[in-house]
Amino acid sequence: MDEEYDVIVLGTGLKECILSGLMSTDGKKVLHMDRNTYYGGESASLTPLSQLFDHFKQPAPVDDKYGRPRDWNVDLIPKFLMANGKLVQLLVYTGVTRYLEFKSLDGSFVRKTDGKLHKVPADEREALSSSLMGLFEKRRFKKLLSYCQSLDLDNPAAKNKDDKKIDPDNLDATQLYTEFGVDKNTQDFTGHAIALFLNDDYLHKNCKELIRRIQLYSGSLARYGKSPYLYPLYGLGELPQGFARLSAIYGGTYMLGKTVDELVMEDGKVVGVKSGGEVAKTKMVICDPSYVPHKVKKTGRVVRAICILKGKVEGVNNSESLQIIIPQNQVDRKNDIYICVLSNQQCVTAKGFYLGIVSTTVETSDPEGELQIGIDILNGKDKSNIAEKYVWYSLIITP
Amino acid sequence: MANRAGAQRPNGATQGKICQFKLVLLGESAVGKSSLVLRFVKGQFHEYQESTIGAAFLTQTVCLDDTTVKFEIWDTAGQERYHSLAPMYYRGAQAAIVVYDITNQDTFGRAKTWVKELQRQASPNIVIALAGNKSDLSNKRMVEYEEAQAYAEENSLLFMETSAKTAMNVNDIFLAIAKKLPKNEGGGAAQPRQQGMKINNSETSQASEGGCCK
Ligand SMILES: Nc1nc2c(ncn2[C@@H]2O[C@H](COP(=O)(O)OP(=O)(O)O)[C@@H](O)[C@H]2O)c(=O)[nH]1
Ligand SMILES: [Mg+2]
Repeated sequence: MDEEYDVIVLGTGLKECILSGLMSTDGKKVLHMDRNTYYGGESASLTPLSQLFDHFKQPAPVDDKYGRPRDWNVDLIPKFLMANGKLVQLLVYTGVTRYLEFKSLDGSFVRKTDGKLHKVPADEREALSSSLMGLFEKRRFKKLLSYCQSLDLDNPAAKNKDDKKIDPDNLDATQLYTEFGVDKNTQDFTGHAIALFLNDDYLHKNCKELIRRIQLYSGSLARYGKSPYLYPLYGLGELPQGFARLSAIYGGTYMLGKTVDELVMEDGKVVGVKSGGEVAKTKMVICDPSYVPHKVKKTGRVVRAICILKGKVEGVNNSESLQIIIPQNQVDRKNDIYICVLSNQQCVTAKGFYLGIVSTTVETSDPEGELQIGIDILNGKDKSNIAEKYVWYSLIITP
Repeated sequence: MANRAGAQRPNGATQGKICQFKLVLLGESAVGKSSLVLRFVKGQFHEYQESTIGAAFLTQTVCLDDTTVKFEIWDTAGQERYHSLAPMYYRGAQAAIVVYDITNQDTFGRAKTWVKELQRQASPNIVIALAGNKSDLSNKRMVEYEEAQAYAEENSLLFMETSAKTAMNVNDIFLAIAKKLPKNEGGGAAQPRQQGMKINNSETSQASEGGCCK
């Protein structure tokens, strides 16, 4: 360790591992350390199941009550990968996909004011039979979609085929919706279940971000399966491991279970990292915010409930893995409520069990209550589907 | 991990089938893991083996009577050095070679720990071979052949003393593993597991379940 490196990376979260992977392939000499004895930091998938209970300081269940404990790989913050998104492109570009296998989600659903869950159509056939909107509204919606798909945002000179003289440079999202005459419901659905905006702030911003997101969605759709969303087998924790291996293959040095005593500074500049009495020299240190607690500030709070489910979620056409979006408008909120359900398909639960996570940005003094609608969906009509439930908060921190 | 290949006859019989297996190397730093791979795959040996491998994995085939066994060989890329191997490394591995250095008793002790780790973490039917490497240095021997052999027998491991330097037993140990791997449908070495998909540049391919050829 008493050596000089081009860069020292602290913490093995996804971002840190992507960076060290890219820098190593670029020929940089990288030292990567983590205080934990496992990869992934906060984004590590918890396995076996007892780790989940440890995390919430609960006694672990006895007698394999929830199947084989080893079959569980629990992500506290599950995130889906868009099949055509930047992360997937990076995985392919770097060859890290060679270490991973994926499963696409069965479906994505949106909750309407009627309280019912509607499937977000994944193809033409589903779109035609969809209960989401009426026949005429469908036509208007389809026109909006084809307009967005045909638009070449990087090349504004290239005009859209059935040019309606729409100038996306000078329209906000609401105005774009108005151009196509789609109603409030369709707007909600488009903005939140397709473009995945977390709240309605986008409505009054230039419409190009909306168009870009619709394009990403369309491009991702049915690329690898039934939905545009992918999930890595064995959980998201596989991603940092994959990038760490990439880095190691190109000479990156890895040290787990290594506590960092301090960053060594000289003339206000970082010159090294001290750990266990040794100093590794470097000109650059990259670290996740937890390694420099006094240099970050908190900007919000997210509340999450993680639930072990005994059976499938009701009202979602038997889907085993899915996302449900409850647009904020539908429930008089400012931020959407998200539900994510994963199963043994993704190798994150034992056979027959499901994992449901409800989350939203905290708006009131009763954050747990804010999740209730989502909890009720997971629990089912008999209010008995949830076997375990833990609620927790995370801070949104920024440097 | 295993892909189907080989010509499928209309009557269902396969001719000249190719079976692909993931094989991982484990063992203490500097025992000669990378050297064994280099010897097996490229027929080379370097006194100063570079730690950078620059490849996700290397492949080499072994021909048996009616089957070609294709090894996808994963090197640790140095991640064993500070106990930083990721669980992903042995996920889906159908074979492993646990290496120690016959001139260093500690590395034999560590090898036993790796075997335990594999028995705990890897697929239950994984084929494990124990390699006592650097057998060319027998004048500095610290681990007796009999001791290692007895341990291997107790734990149902294949065992050979090897030398990446002289090539002694290097092909042989891979051949022995190839013979022991189950090559019939359904008799896969990997535990039955969920089927995922691989993502590459243009197309996707379904990874077939279980151990081997179809
Ligand atoms: N004499 C001798 N040296 C070997 C043998 N195998 C590897 N080495 C040397 O041992 C050192 C470490 O080998 P390496 O393959 O990098 O070990 P690894 O860390 O386990 O991958 C290198 O200097 C090799 O040249 C062997 O069979 N005999
Ligand atoms: Mg090596």
